[in-house]
Amino acid sequence: MMLIAGTFPYRDLPLTVGAVSTEGESLVVDGRRLPCTQGTGAMVRAALAVTEYLKLDPPQVVIAGDIGEGKGSRAIYEYLIQNVKAVSPEVLVLHYWLPDMAQTRRLCEAIEKCARRPVMVADAASMYSAKGAGLASCFDIFTPDATEMAFLADPDATHPAYIARHLFDTDITQTPNLVATAYGNKSAARLLLVKGAVDYVVRDGEILETVDEPDVPALEAVGGTGDTITGLVSAFIYAGLEPHEAAIIAAKANRMAGKFAQATPAMKVRQIIDQFPAVFKEHLCQWSAVCYTEGGNDD
Amino acid sequence: MYLFRRKKKPRFDGGGLVLFMDVHDALKAERVLKSAGYMVGLVAPPLALRKGCDLALEINLVEQTGIERVFGENGVFYVDIVPLGSNISELLDIVSVTDFDDWVMVKAGNMKVAFDKESGVIVNTSGGGCPDIPYLHAELIGKKLTEAPNPKEIGFTLCALMLHRALEECLLLWQGGEGS
Repeated sequence: MMLIAGTFPYRDLPLTVGAVSTEGESLVVDGRRLPCTQGTGAMVRAALAVTEYLKLDPPQVVIAGDIGEGKGSRAIYEYLIQNVKAVSPEVLVLHYWLPDMAQTRRLCEAIEKCARRPVMVADAASMYSAKGAGLASCFDIFTPDATEMAFLADPDATHPAYIARHLFDTDITQTPNLVATAYGNKSAARLLLVKGAVDYVVRDGEILETVDEPDVPALEAVGGTGDTITGLVSAFIYAGLEPHEAAIIAAKANRMAGKFAQATPAMKVRQIIDQFPAVFKEHLCQWSAVCYTEGGNDD
Repeated sequence: MYLFRRKKKPRFDGGGLVLFMDVHDALKAERVLKSAGYMVGLVAPPLALRKGCDLALEINLVEQTGIERVFGENGVFYVDIVPLGSNISELLDIVSVTDFDDWVMVKAGNMKVAFDKESGVIVNTSGGGCPDIPYLHAELIGKKLTEAPNPKEIGFTLCALMLHRALEECLLLWQGGEGS
């Protein structure tokens, strides 16, 4: 099972657990319709695009409403801490929530008690609290953007708003130096997918691949296009790809979807996500050797 | 024989400190924040961060924006809010601007705002990872820069504060200033 945890931008959405499906432009969980917009919604929808295309079980989600006050976030932390051992997901993806270092520490302790350790993926503020608490080693994959890479490289920062100026004030060509510093500080997960003008896939400090084509600069302005990459990489791992292969394909697929959509800064992330099935159909076999054909034949 | 063990209280690990001029302010701050539902703890600040009295309040740094608002609403006086265990005490203030022909994207720290050059309408926000960011995304998009709600007033986190800075810069550009 692939389990995704994160908040949705509502004050009164209670803790909701279940398989996710779609209805029109909405996501549906336990009968509740949710938007496919920046944040956990975009990430879940991208993961679902992969599982639908590959005819896999849809992701299970643990979500709650939170507009920054923390109540929904705390409900998600507590659910995971109490239930992760019993639920035993193969892939656990943590996303938007109010970063809480103490709760993240408790969650990592709960993960250690699982009979089978899940592949642990963190993006957004769940990555902030993991790094801030010195728990990067509990995670298999972080998906930072270029600014967040500087945050990971800063030994003191507990949030990207407080990065040391000399680390922030670097261009994307400096990413390898930031990567080396972050691994030196033990502030990076085993695998990093650094999202930017050039995407870097890094394992244990070694840059395995860079992806810079197609070049679609407008994607940076479209809220949620980093979230979709996290959803893609997580779902490809769930589909059985090695994490670094999943990361490379996720980076390529996101860029290609931007190209297919002819992305502009005024575009909604939903319009990018809508392109994933066409991208997979045209490129996934070539990129991954996972060649799904109509009628269900895989090779 | 049964041994009773008191359940260990989870250690509060907030990452931020509020500094005060005197103990009275620190105690009042603790009271109003607890009443507002925030998790806080009174601590002695590290020597290098002592700016007034030797009582500080540990907070979850990421909640800085909401906490400052609660202080303002309740007349709490404080000296500064700083990251704990760090030599850095200033928020990142680097702003960059990217021209996309019909649109401009302004980036402040980890947050980005894009607006239509002709109409001044916000077309996108991106970046960040705190739970108020998708909420602010929905609140800001489609509104004119001059009419958009202030992220600092309706958001709660450091991401919201950086989004506020990006929006301020957008407004300066839109109104013909050169920005900072």
